[in-house]
Amino acid sequence: MELNTASEVISFAKRLEESGAKLYEDLAERYTKDSETLLSFSRENNKNVVQIERVYYGVITDALEGGFAFKINPDEYMLETRLDEKAKYSDALNQAVEMEEKIIRFYSDAAEQSQSLLADVPRAFKMVARKRDDRKLKLVLLLHKEG
Amino acid sequence: MAILEEPIKEVLELKNYINGEWVESKSDHILDIVNPATQKTIAKVPMSTRDEVNAAIKAAREAFPDWRRTTPLARVRCLFRLKELLEENFEELSRVQTMEHGKTIDESRGETRRGIEMVEVATGIPSLMMGYNLEDIASGIDEYLIYQPLGAFCHIAPFNFPFMVPLWFSPFALATGNTFVVKPSPRDPISQIKLTELIDEAGFPPGVYNLVNGGAEAASILIEHPDISGVTFVGTTNIGKDVVYKKCGETGKRSIVQASAKNFLTVMPDANIEATIPALLTSFFGNTGQRCLSGANLIIVGKDDAFYNRVLNAFVDAASRIRVGYGLDESIQMGPMQSVDGVQRVIGYIEKGIKEGAKLTLDGRKPQITGDYPDTCFLNATVFEDVTPDMTICEEEIFGPVASITRVEDLDEAIKITNASKYGNAASIFTSSGKAAREFQYRIECGNVGINIGIVAPMAFFPFSGMKDSFLGVLHGQGKDAIRFFTESKVVIQRWF
Repeated sequence: MELNTASEVISFAKRLEESGAKLYEDLAERYTKDSETLLSFSRENNKNVVQIERVYYGVITDALEGGFAFKINPDEYMLETRLDEKAKYSDALNQAVEMEEKIIRFYSDAAEQSQSLLADVPRAFKMVARKRDDRKLKLVLLLHKEG
Repeated sequence: MAILEEPIKEVLELKNYINGEWVESKSDHILDIVNPATQKTIAKVPMSTRDEVNAAIKAAREAFPDWRRTTPLARVRCLFRLKELLEENFEELSRVQTMEHGKTIDESRGETRRGIEMVEVATGIPSLMMGYNLEDIASGIDEYLIYQPLGAFCHIAPFNFPFMVPLWFSPFALATGNTFVVKPSPRDPISQIKLTELIDEAGFPPGVYNLVNGGAEAASILIEHPDISGVTFVGTTNIGKDVVYKKCGETGKRSIVQASAKNFLTVMPDANIEATIPALLTSFFGNTGQRCLSGANLIIVGKDDAFYNRVLNAFVDAASRIRVGYGLDESIQMGPMQSVDGVQRVIGYIEKGIKEGAKLTLDGRKPQITGDYPDTCFLNATVFEDVTPDMTICEEEIFGPVASITRVEDLDEAIKITNASKYGNAASIFTSSGKAAREFQYRIECGNVGINIGIVAPMAFFPFSGMKDSFLGVLHGQGKDAIRFFTESKVVIQRWF
């Protein structure tokens, strides 16, 4: 079902961040050589949730189009966060890159749809998307290191 | 999407808050507070006796001298504590509003945020309440002006924003050194009870803030009581004009009466339709149309049939897809009406619209509801076309999710139709032309004007304006107007020998 309201999009973003964080915790446990980096991604996910909720709760008013700001199909952004038991580290990193690409797309789409309708919320979405671009680069570097 | 957890788990027995104590009412007249979505009783509210209302007024009056002497800094420290408590309890306060009023969770959170902003602005009182002076008005003689509080004020609250509207006034009254009695709407008083619990926790001295439950009788006692210095009221023009404003005049009280509305939204041929539609939906159907800033009449300007049809089709299509249900379901875009009476009133207007010849393009009387809830208080969005200015649905406040569309040839005609309304609360124009926007802003007879804005809700640091039959009084709620309303100007001329 399409997500239309600000409340459900914020909740959806939270779920994406939480399941992403879980994936990085699993990766860190399994592939210990980069555990510090991977755990920092997980911590950053939790910070993103705080940041987005802070912005949403700070600007939401009845004057904003909170009920009609989005047309998000959640199926397009569903994440695969289960790790195959036999996955090599490079496969797991590729999975993480794919996940980040989906999340970037989600934040970018949500920002575009709510542009000029939800005050600072789309700006917060864009900021998280930019941070994730940086993270994606870091993941690609880890992949190269892995060969 | 999951339904958010309900914060009210059992039926609450509501009490009055008088002189810093929660006091059980002796009244045997008790009303049930029903969740309009689920139709479950969530609280019982007493219609307080005359003695109880008088006790609240007495407490406020007696607390005034000490509170007035409390320094502005000390007074706003109580408000700072209150602000922190409001933030800590933000989500619970919001969900309570949805449970007792029916609005969606986004709308309730918006209401909570707006309420908190009032407290935030009022904490600036040490600066905002400063007077002014001029030395040497004559040689060796200086003159200065001081703003002083007046005494005990009261607020008679409406049902449509059960948390926020009393906060348009009370933080400013308290910060300026006045004391306060609030009478919540008997339809949805729980939000004010929760707010008062936090006010109690914030450490305001006993009697400075009081809450008394009740209906019209309690309101009359408050309005007529000689120990009340001023009345703030938000409700219908009929009651505001014939009862509140009149009685305040007779008893020499100052008053702010914010009343009914019939708001016109004009869409120009150069409007950005894609961006305008969400604003229109929010305006006409947000809060299920139960707000004095809601859009009621949509005027589409221009001779171009294609443009008219594009706006009409986009609006009607989107309105027909609004998800209606229980506001604690995050996916819901429109909640129920607050009461069965409200539903009946709206249906009555829809029938009148049909009878008077308007074209019923979208009929919301047989609601499609998301979730398994009784349809008692639900309506879907209704849209009328071919509405003419003489029709009842164009003139009278419906206070529900009904949009009436009128087509005109040019901006001049749109402004004339808007200005013909006896109300003057809000009006908006959607355009990409600065010239048209300026013309609209200049000529429109409304207190709150929107340019590409659907709900023209002034921020806490601006007055909530209103004109004609939408407002009675001189000074408005919020902002500097509120500070002037809650204070008297005292001029001192001094010379030293």
